[in-house]
Amino acid sequence: MVLSLWIQAILSGVTNGFVYGLIGLGIAVVFRGARIINAMQGDFALLGGVVAYLLVHNLGWPLPAAFLAAMLSGAVCGMLVERLLIRPTARRQGTDDSYLLVTLGGAFAVSASVLLYFGRDSYVLPGIGGDQSVDVFNAAIRVHALALIVIGTLVVIALRWFYRGTRLGQAMLAASIDPDGAQTIGINVPLVRTLTFGLGGLVGGLAGMLVTPLINLHYEMGLLLTLKGFAAAVLGGLTSPFGAVFGGLVLGLVESLAIVTVSSGYKDVIAMTILILIMIVMPQGLFGRRGRMGG
Amino acid sequence: MTEAADDLLKVRNISRHFGGLQVLRHVDFAVPERSITGLIGPNGAGKSTLFNIISGFLTPSEGDIDYAGVRITPLSIQQRSEMGLMRSFQTPQVFPDLTVWENLIVGCHKHGRSGMVEGLLALPVVWRERRAASEAAQRILEDFNLGAVSGRLARELPAGQQRIVELARAVIARPRLLCLDEPSSGLSADEVQDLMATIHRISKTGVTILLVSHDMELISVCERIHALCFGEIIANGTLAEIQAHPDVREAYLGIQ
Amino acid sequence: MSSRRIAVTASRTLTIAAWIAGIAVWAALPWLLGRGSVDILVFAGLYTIAGLGVSFLLGQCGIVSLAQSVFYGIGAYSTAYGTTVLGWPIPACMLAGIVVSGLVAMLVGTPVLRLSGYFLALATLALAIMGHVLFLEWDWLTGGTLGIGGIPHLSLFGFTLNTPFRFYYFIWPCAAVVLWLHYNLLRSRTGIALRAMRDAPSAAKVAGIRVESLRVRTFILSAVLGSFAGSLFAHYVSFVSVDSFGIDRAIGFLLIAVLGGARSISGTVVGALFVTAAPNLLSRLGEIHPLLFALLLIVAVIFLPSGFGGAFADLWRRLGGSLRPTVKDGTP
Repeated sequence: MVLSLWIQAILSGVTNGFVYGLIGLGIAVVFRGARIINAMQGDFALLGGVVAYLLVHNLGWPLPAAFLAAMLSGAVCGMLVERLLIRPTARRQGTDDSYLLVTLGGAFAVSASVLLYFGRDSYVLPGIGGDQSVDVFNAAIRVHALALIVIGTLVVIALRWFYRGTRLGQAMLAASIDPDGAQTIGINVPLVRTLTFGLGGLVGGLAGMLVTPLINLHYEMGLLLTLKGFAAAVLGGLTSPFGAVFGGLVLGLVESLAIVTVSSGYKDVIAMTILILIMIVMPQGLFGRRGRMGG
Repeated sequence: MTEAADDLLKVRNISRHFGGLQVLRHVDFAVPERSITGLIGPNGAGKSTLFNIISGFLTPSEGDIDYAGVRITPLSIQQRSEMGLMRSFQTPQVFPDLTVWENLIVGCHKHGRSGMVEGLLALPVVWRERRAASEAAQRILEDFNLGAVSGRLARELPAGQQRIVELARAVIARPRLLCLDEPSSGLSADEVQDLMATIHRISKTGVTILLVSHDMELISVCERIHALCFGEIIANGTLAEIQAHPDVREAYLGIQ
Repeated sequence: MSSRRIAVTASRTLTIAAWIAGIAVWAALPWLLGRGSVDILVFAGLYTIAGLGVSFLLGQCGIVSLAQSVFYGIGAYSTAYGTTVLGWPIPACMLAGIVVSGLVAMLVGTPVLRLSGYFLALATLALAIMGHVLFLEWDWLTGGTLGIGGIPHLSLFGFTLNTPFRFYYFIWPCAAVVLWLHYNLLRSRTGIALRAMRDAPSAAKVAGIRVESLRVRTFILSAVLGSFAGSLFAHYVSFVSVDSFGIDRAIGFLLIAVLGGARSISGTVVGALFVTAAPNLLSRLGEIHPLLFALLLIVAVIFLPSGFGGAFADLWRRLGGSLRPTVKDGTP
């Protein structure tokens, strides 16, 4: 009985960890490519969830098609954010603070739009494999959670290949490390930055539709997701997709073990304390190298 | 060579490495009180690292800094500043959004004692300090020929004038040892002449000066010069002696 | 008399006239407006005080603080718990709130303020979330979602400040005093040191400014303002619940600083008026008002980097430029 409680806690910790990791992935992708912390990452997920929900419930689309559409809408939204918010701010010599504020404004705009359209109620999206669960040592894990873990892992592998093996991935790295140099060797830096945000949005949209069957879709969910994802990304060194997922796992496990040992009410307090401690004690994250600009 | 007791600053056996990179190796030298002492060396010789260690921005891996007979190695930048050890920066560090006048007032910070509560309530002590600072600033403005630009924001000034502002701000703080890091970089030939005159003038008031430069003309103001190369002191003496030193010729002048 | 002297006199007369007119309008406003509008103006006064803390930190120290809601809450709960449960006198409760806020700011600020940029801003946001959760969880102290009611109104010289009308004449002088104090601070030794370290921390250290400690002290000052405003808020509405101290409140305070123009002290008033009045006016349009508010934030960050305060200052300089003599020397 007690053992199964612990196993249950670990299973939900791993699941939540992948959720935070997926948001952290998006934050890492954008930071890696543009050196900007995108405070809208959780709201990209909210948006992806909303699009998937509308397509499935109102138009009766099959799940896979809705998922694809959610990812694409995330990508489009990401590119729009770069063009409409980031670029005008950059043109006026934006500081770290102004980028953060402008994306925070974007996050409120998404959240307020969802409030306007959906109201204050919560919505649930059907998951992969419906509501079925698998038993692991007398503890249950939903099939959808397993799917989330598998897909999350695949995304990390795909991103690794993308940065190592494709011209676009390398251009993104070059454009962030040395924009002037990248420009001179013929990389269209503004376009690459737009695509970076597009990639961040794509990952965000994917996270959204994977997350919403597990947490209820609600207009206020974006900001807390962003912060937890940020904690995951910082733990992982802020620029590494693998690190973000690993950081998410650490965060998720600590959180769910804290729920078992302390109280569920303090879950967010513990997560936020961890975030602050990591930033002070290990600003380079678990795998980061020294000398990275943390802020 | 002056008596050791008259040395204001003593750099004793300083080493510093960053990871595996050894930047300074057992550096030893002294700056006599009231002297103008020079430190030369090619780029990457470790001059800036040494300067950062003297002023407290970096801690040495090994060795000690003595100042006015006190071991200051563990002291903070501010504590060293309180003791009269001031420095300038290679790229002039003015306060860009403050006027030239306000930059000088910041230089008087150490002479005041009023804190936040006194400031909030605008107690008389705040006004007394402000009046004292204003008088000092007025004098320095004239000394440094900055009267015409005193109301301008520091960032609006050309680089040469920013350097003068930085120097004036250091002087108003009444330093005992003034460390100048490449003060002539970015200056025209005329401005370098003015700078040399200014350095002489500051020195006459009893301030000890340590000058880092690779400008051979500027370094001629120094009475004694130490040559740093790949983290080691390879020679010291007067300018003529240094210029004649075979190691220096090879390591430094040869490169020029 | 030189033309310069005439210009100076004219400009001074104009300034005095503007002040008198401003005070007259301020005193007359509650007689002209309805109860609802006066209530909004009272909140603008409260938010001016709390927002000034955020604005001063941002403008003079370069610290983005999203944690002001925590100190606002500490002030409100101190006075709520102190007066209703412990039966303490009101000034003691407010003082207790200020002391607790100051201590929390010192304990949290000392490690957190070593961060900068994104890390610092997100750390303060994390603090705001922690504060909100703790206010909710510690229901023995805060009453949780049910809140604490029956907080006594303030009374002054036999007047009970139990209507918006009466509170209006109390809160704005309070705000004016707080603004005046900060205006003093800005021109003192400490104020100039603050601006110096914001712009060039290394050079500020060489000038002998204790950068880390000064940052923490300014954070404490900001927390004290938040707590003071929170206490007054509790006495005004006489009921507090955790809903008043959420992330949205923290963001509202930051917005006051950004919209008002963080570098101008008086801009805070404009920011506070905007943040309290705009949602009210927009709320007539229905649930769309949070969206419009978010869009306004975006527009303000991109197009008004120095806020309304900065924009007004520019305008004033341009208008006054023809009238005022151009001062060449910077002697104050």
